[in-house]
Amino acid sequence: MSKTLEGTELREHTVLDSPWVTLVWNDPVNLMSYVSYIFRSYFGFSRDEAERRMLQVHNDGRAVVATGSREEMERHVEAMHDFGLWATLQKADA
Amino acid sequence: MTPFSKTADGILVVAFSAVESDIIADLAAQIAGMLAPLASSDDADPLYDLVGIGGNTSIDSDPAIARLLPDAYGDDAAASSDFRTLTERSLATRKVANARVVIASLERDGGRLELSAAEAQSWLRTLSDIRLTIAARLGIETDGDEGATDSDAAVALHDLYDWLAFVTESLLDALED
Repeated sequence: MSKTLEGTELREHTVLDSPWVTLVWNDPVNLMSYVSYIFRSYFGFSRDEAERRMLQVHNDGRAVVATGSREEMERHVEAMHDFGLWATLQKADA
Repeated sequence: MTPFSKTADGILVVAFSAVESDIIADLAAQIAGMLAPLASSDDADPLYDLVGIGGNTSIDSDPAIARLLPDAYGDDAAASSDFRTLTERSLATRKVANARVVIASLERDGGRLELSAAEAQSWLRTLSDIRLTIAARLGIETDGDEGATDSDAAVALHDLYDWLAFVTESLLDALED
């Protein structure tokens, strides 16, 4: 009994500590204005925030655009692929 | 081309010459044709087909298709493979559908197009898919890459690639209005 409870607590702890992230990667094709538009229209970022993350993609090669459950991040990645953006998901601490 | 504008009720209006219309329709048809084999398959289990699963297990060897249907996990090949099996077919199907919306709107309206908000979204995505495909063919891989310029065909593709960026920018401007 007590072992099962400990196991459950441990798993919840792990989920809370290790969220997943969606990354958008730089590509030479998509326009900066298009990337910024997607960040606003899909993720609901403000104009400034969308611009900041778009520039992060452009300058650093990638940016985190969402954090959450694995299932949510898979949905976001698929939506980005729909737009033609290069996106991946991974564990936040990876 | 007369650039995109947005009417009071949210319709996106644009005018293309007959040549421009034909080029966009032809390119969209090429995208649809390239992805159609991945979007559906005759020997697919109809139940799998219904829910969209049954995709390939690994990324396509054609660099253009690989770029349009990339791996979802940057650091986990097995997870990418599983995810691809579940989602590739529906993603390819949506891309084919977007390309067909572009073709249908060009056929319907001729030179002067009036696009609904939903059609404009299909246009945005298909313009991106076309430019990604051209870039893959020209070997444009990183920022600043010129890609191939060694033939008349390559130079013509470059012009097309740049013009499609202008079309995209124009549509984005109108959407923001």
